[in-house]
Amino acid sequence: MSREDQMIPQARLRNFSIIAHIDHGKSTLADRLLELTHTIEARQMTSQVLDSMDLEREKGITIKARAVRLEYTARDGLTYGLNLIDTPGHVDFSYEVSRSLQACEGALLVVDAAQGIEAQTLANVHLALREGLTIIPVINKIDLPSAQPEVVMEELENVLAIPREEVILASAKEGTGVPEILEAIVERIPPPKGDPDAPLQGLIFDSHYDSYKGVVVYVRLAQGRLRQHDTIRLMASGVESELLELGVFRPQLVPVKELVAGEVGYVATGLKSVRDAQVGDTLTNAKAPAAAPLPGYQPAKSLVFAGIYPLSGEDYPLLRDALEKLHLNDASFTYEPESSIALGFGFRCGFLGLLHMEIVQERLEREFGLELILSAPSVSYHVVLTHGRGVVEVDNPALFPAVNEIEEIREPWVRVSVVTPTQYIGALMELSTNRRGTFLDMEYLDPQRVLLRFEMPLAELIVDYYDQLKSRSQGYASMDYEEAGYRPASLVKLDILVAGEPVDALSLIVHRDRAAATGRALVARLKELIPRQLFEVPVQAAIGSNVVARETVRAMRKNVLAKCYGGDITRKRKLLEKQKEGKQRMKRVGSVEIPQEAFLAMLSMDE
Amino acid sequence: MRSIAGRVSPGTGSSSSLRPRPPVALYLHVPFCRSLCPYCDFVAVAGSAARGPSSRIAAFLDALVVELGLRADALDARFGPPGPGRQALESVYFGGGTPSLLPAETIAGLLALVDERFGLAFGAEVTLEANPGRDERGDPRALRKAGVTRLSFGAQSLRPAELRLLGRRHRSADVADAVAAAQAAGIGSVNLDLLYDLPGQSFADWIETLEAALALRPDHLSLYALTLDDPDAEGLTGPAGDHLPVASGARAWRERARPRQDDDRAAGQYHYAASVLARDGWHGYEISNWARPGHESRHNLAYWERRPYEAVGPGAHAFDGTVRRWNAARLDGYLAALLPAGGGAPALPPGGQEQLDPAMAAAEELILGLRTDRGVRREALLALPAGSSIFGWALAGELVELVQLGEDARVRLTSRGRLLSNELFSRLV
Repeated sequence: MSREDQMIPQARLRNFSIIAHIDHGKSTLADRLLELTHTIEARQMTSQVLDSMDLEREKGITIKARAVRLEYTARDGLTYGLNLIDTPGHVDFSYEVSRSLQACEGALLVVDAAQGIEAQTLANVHLALREGLTIIPVINKIDLPSAQPEVVMEELENVLAIPREEVILASAKEGTGVPEILEAIVERIPPPKGDPDAPLQGLIFDSHYDSYKGVVVYVRLAQGRLRQHDTIRLMASGVESELLELGVFRPQLVPVKELVAGEVGYVATGLKSVRDAQVGDTLTNAKAPAAAPLPGYQPAKSLVFAGIYPLSGEDYPLLRDALEKLHLNDASFTYEPESSIALGFGFRCGFLGLLHMEIVQERLEREFGLELILSAPSVSYHVVLTHGRGVVEVDNPALFPAVNEIEEIREPWVRVSVVTPTQYIGALMELSTNRRGTFLDMEYLDPQRVLLRFEMPLAELIVDYYDQLKSRSQGYASMDYEEAGYRPASLVKLDILVAGEPVDALSLIVHRDRAAATGRALVARLKELIPRQLFEVPVQAAIGSNVVARETVRAMRKNVLAKCYGGDITRKRKLLEKQKEGKQRMKRVGSVEIPQEAFLAMLSMDE
Repeated sequence: MRSIAGRVSPGTGSSSSLRPRPPVALYLHVPFCRSLCPYCDFVAVAGSAARGPSSRIAAFLDALVVELGLRADALDARFGPPGPGRQALESVYFGGGTPSLLPAETIAGLLALVDERFGLAFGAEVTLEANPGRDERGDPRALRKAGVTRLSFGAQSLRPAELRLLGRRHRSADVADAVAAAQAAGIGSVNLDLLYDLPGQSFADWIETLEAALALRPDHLSLYALTLDDPDAEGLTGPAGDHLPVASGARAWRERARPRQDDDRAAGQYHYAASVLARDGWHGYEISNWARPGHESRHNLAYWERRPYEAVGPGAHAFDGTVRRWNAARLDGYLAALLPAGGGAPALPPGGQEQLDPAMAAAEELILGLRTDRGVRREALLALPAGSSIFGWALAGELVELVQLGEDARVRLTSRGRLLSNELFSRLV
């Protein structure tokens, strides 16, 4: 704890993040940096130190931005404070990436020596360059037999105009090149600017809720200083509070007495509601406040919407509380109450993408012990009403206006960048054009790899486009996308009827030309997903009153413990209890029990 | 000394009272087989443990006698010694395994011990499970003399191809011989176990087996759907579990067999058998069991009526009216406890138990009662939480019907409901 009082002058601070594609070794490199700077002793190392959420370790991805303070004694003999601000690596989370980058002056660009640069890495480097960050290019995994550092250097030069002399060759796994990276951070990345004696301005880039300390905000001080017992004010909300604790991330929270301009640290605000300390707000000193807040962030934009419902109606209040608490930790999803005829009371939620949706669902289930049903995901449509009655935004197919009310429907489009080895160009062109995509252009990164650009409706992208891209390129292609505005489209609402009753949570909006085909594929999938019931259950797809597809889930004829278990009644009862649990995981809609997966059937249809 | 305590009439409906009661039946598990069948989950060992110089049968019998003594001591301590003041056993059941591998003298000796220590009611049912094979079915005359009143043959099928597929050692002609010999010896009730929903078994195949079985004029038929469980996945096969781990060959056999089963076909097979047997005057008194009137198995009825039963042998299950108890399946642990090396005091074998709470007891009573053609009292079903909505749902789904039996308005399964009974039962647990 002797480091606590040791103040490092602003000139010896460095704030940086790491930009890397998934599996290109970001977490391993971060682990090595922590080790080499003795932030964590080798015996305490677990791998993926910064990915502390179970889900992150399981999926091998970073979901939440995190920060850690390293203290490094450089070759010049001086000790530097290096703040590593970790960034998520999946396409859904570019919003988190931009927030992290804004808190830095530099970034390590980590590229796998065998894989080369990927679509999303490119997008993030462009983000970093836009923010004026210094880029330190690192080619990682040079120990691999398949490593081709020469080719990757050529790519970096061609695509990002990075001179090869700047590139550091490394193997985070073996520790090669890691000391050079630390030196480069000190030498190349400029120290933060900002007058320590000016009025305090601290940008909140993340937060979490701690049941003892209340809302803990992660701040980057743009100017001024922050001391123990200061009374702080959140400039947007106007809330004031005497701070409970301030400190740095090592990576656990370690209290310090003071933070100065340029520093990254945390502040335990003592506030009870995260709404009072929103990400993007500016922290200042209540006694000597800054004249104006920092520019802050664009709020996260939801692209994918779905209803989240408790499996059992009585859990609705628990779901509401869970969403509120989770939102403190992940402000990038939205939620508001809605109700469904089929599913009862729930919430309409907006997500950054499909993976984000999956993660929110899993966190609600794991961290709050809830059992949930999600309705079919949708994008947000602009519906122009007839007779000049304006435009409404509709993100729930069930709430689509009647056909005679609609003048025009506009749907969101995206511009998709795909990086792929050349041999998969044909397969990926086909995938994208099948999804109503249009091809824009192609650029060679090196003789073996290209950058393809498409435009396509977002609705086509969210339905397993990413999974298809991966499977059709044997895992080699990568993608990124950005919004490209709204365009008119010929769309219709496809209703699904189960046992003759429309199930609103299964409705979806589809292109008119493919409505019948989609209807057929969807009911075929539903027939597989809906278990046999006591009576036969017709499953139909309809456009208006016109049925375009029909399948029948045949009646169940046998579910019996016919076997002789002797006097072993216990085993019989346990088998029945298991069946009961299975039934409780299903949603009763009318007289039919429908499992969770059926509501997401549109994501697993055959092409 | 043979007790002559009068029989308590079955189905008195007082079984959900949570008071321990002395057993009305005794189950003895004999875990030896000539060979193991790949579909079977019962506790059984074969190979050198079951025959030849290193056979464990003699040691097992010693241990079984010790266990019978310990269980009897415990019953004496709770309920007083057997005699006019205590319920005598109405049924003894030798299950397995293949208990017909034991010589008739051994069966006679065990029955004498059982009578002495537990009290055997006059006219008690004594069942022995037997394989039909020439070298494993035992001598019915000697068995009858030993006290066996009922022989239950594991026929499974009367078609040669199916018997081979199931890994059975006997031929279909052995079944006819075994039944004829039992009848000639004057065995009071002869049962055949048959399996439907065999992999690839056509409707015609099933009719063939059923008709061949009926032609042998058995007194009782147990028709079981072949059920390929995974006791490992159910967590039943640990050291204290009541099942043995599934051998890899059996696991592979089950995986190959499952896709060749078919619920719809099985339903047809079941309903066909049920209608033929009803037409011929058989009493379908439980989901899987039919008897010519008067030949219902009193032992199995005791399970379904939740009457208390004692049990000995590896993997055996007992019930005293409040607690369900079982022995672990593994023979080594069983022998080590009951026949300790170095002559120490024997201990009860490892196992487990569960205490039933009133809700579990009520659910069990309904589920077990509904398995029989007597069904359950309507009030008992309605007394359950959500009982009336479950009853309404089951009526609407044609799973149950309401019948008047004597004074009682009773609910029982329809023929369709029998095959869909888990749909109802899983709502009752």
